[in-house]
Amino acid sequence: MQRIEIAERDDWKSQAEALGFNFHTLYGAAYWDETACYRFSLKQIEDDIEDPSGEIETMCFDVVARAVDDEEILAKLAIPEAFWDYIRASWQDQDRNLYGRLDLSYDGESPAKLLEYNADTPTSLYESAAFQWVWLEQAMERGIIPPGCDQFNSIHETMVEAFRNFGIAGTLHLASCKGSNEDEGTVRYIEECAAQAGLETSFIYMEDIGIDGAGRLTDLDDMAISTLFKLYPWEWVMKDEFGLTLPKSGAKIIEPPWRTILSNKGLLPLLWEMFEGHPNLLPAYFADDPRAANLSGGYVRKPLLSREGSNIEMVRSDGESLAVDGPYGVEGAIVQALHPLPVFDGNHTVIGSWLVASRPCGMGIREDDSPITKDSSRFLPHVILD
Amino acid sequence: MKRSRSLTLALMSATAMTLAACDNPEEVAIFENAQQCATQEGFDIKACEANMKLAQEEHIRVAPKYTSVADCEADFGAGQCEDAPQKTTSGSSVFMPLMMGYMMGNMMAGRTSNAATQPLYRSKDDPSNFRTGDNQKVSGKTGISKVPGQIAQAPSTKTSTIRRGGFGSSARAMGGGFRSFGG
Repeated sequence: MQRIEIAERDDWKSQAEALGFNFHTLYGAAYWDETACYRFSLKQIEDDIEDPSGEIETMCFDVVARAVDDEEILAKLAIPEAFWDYIRASWQDQDRNLYGRLDLSYDGESPAKLLEYNADTPTSLYESAAFQWVWLEQAMERGIIPPGCDQFNSIHETMVEAFRNFGIAGTLHLASCKGSNEDEGTVRYIEECAAQAGLETSFIYMEDIGIDGAGRLTDLDDMAISTLFKLYPWEWVMKDEFGLTLPKSGAKIIEPPWRTILSNKGLLPLLWEMFEGHPNLLPAYFADDPRAANLSGGYVRKPLLSREGSNIEMVRSDGESLAVDGPYGVEGAIVQALHPLPVFDGNHTVIGSWLVASRPCGMGIREDDSPITKDSSRFLPHVILD
Repeated sequence: MKRSRSLTLALMSATAMTLAACDNPEEVAIFENAQQCATQEGFDIKACEANMKLAQEEHIRVAPKYTSVADCEADFGAGQCEDAPQKTTSGSSVFMPLMMGYMMGNMMAGRTSNAATQPLYRSKDDPSNFRTGDNQKVSGKTGISKVPGQIAQAPSTKTSTIRRGGFGSSARAMGGGFRSFGG
């Protein structure tokens, strides 16, 4: 695993705009960054990222299977009781999951460590699946990188295949909130994958969804919504006014309700409890667990429901701490042993390992100047070249 | 190779946001009733009856609804309508056409069919063809037929929205400064 500085394609911004990738630059700085790329060996990808990702997914299923029948765990995860039966039923009915991103700390040598699982509303999918793929093809064509490079990235193909196998009858509605170009871009991309799988699709903003007299969800044409993909966190759905109508709405939701157990940081202490010592896991405890005090070598405190690095506090073994502000954290927190991100040329690097329909199928890399990655962290492409 | 073999994005590009997806035809079986279904090679009476029952339940949900018999008969012909179990919000009767047949997946296709079992109708202006609850033309004959994949899917339901805006307040409560509500 190496970070290699390379030339940018001179037309990447105009290409991004033509493809609807309109959030490539953020806060005045490039978010998509192709001034460098990361190089991996095939063995690193297959043995250290792909296989462990599949193993972690299997362990996660064991956690869900246990949690749905354990009210103490559901309460610990701060999931409202009114949704427990709904979550359990979605697991028992084997409601299908679409996609998720495991965030891993990996330096190319020691085992990748799971930092968290974004199993409900992961973004940076389009950049990983499509823009990164186009970059690889063009960078080889233009001699920026040597011919014969590969990439761990069959995300697009796997997404289309997943939609073909989903068994969705009727129109698939897809929703994001108003006011986020990035979320809408991600949803538009997912819509594209569904359309390529032959599904009929319709985009709607979360705010525009209605309900009819029978409690079914409706779109702006007053058509009942039978399947809804939502890029909107489950914990917010559960707090919203219409949240309680969902279990009776008859609509299938993607991601399904049981995914809320995995997108919760409480997953990390549950994994550690069930699979203590697994090479890809870090010691983790609920914050109120006395064993949390025994973590040596520093720790990271994470609210159960934070996203994009918000409200994360990192305490090093020398006691020095670093925190990112944010609006999360009232529901409780976990602590996880500190496993600092590797540093390449002064950049802190995190690996996003993508699973589609539970199959590891691709990777995206984020870099930050700070040891805690956040929503402004840059996205860099990668290559496989032995 | 660890990457997708090809990748095209039709919808995402600014110029083609509304391009329709290509449609895969689906093999379906069409019958007037379960007895007729049972005479089809490879179809057994139990499955025929189960699917007909399913179609009858769907009939109540997806049949076009009218608030007067005259309006219903104008579209489906004299004597071709019945009372629907639903009532309007003011309590008056609702009418719908009679179910004239049903469509199910081809049990001989040797794989799971994507076709949704559903009721079929015959309209007054085109009585020789079966139509779905969505008013999509299916076929004029019974037995095995190929239909566009979209038609084989369950018809969508037109309803009345009583309220909107019940989702999204949690996002607004997070305040500004977020470029994404995902992560």
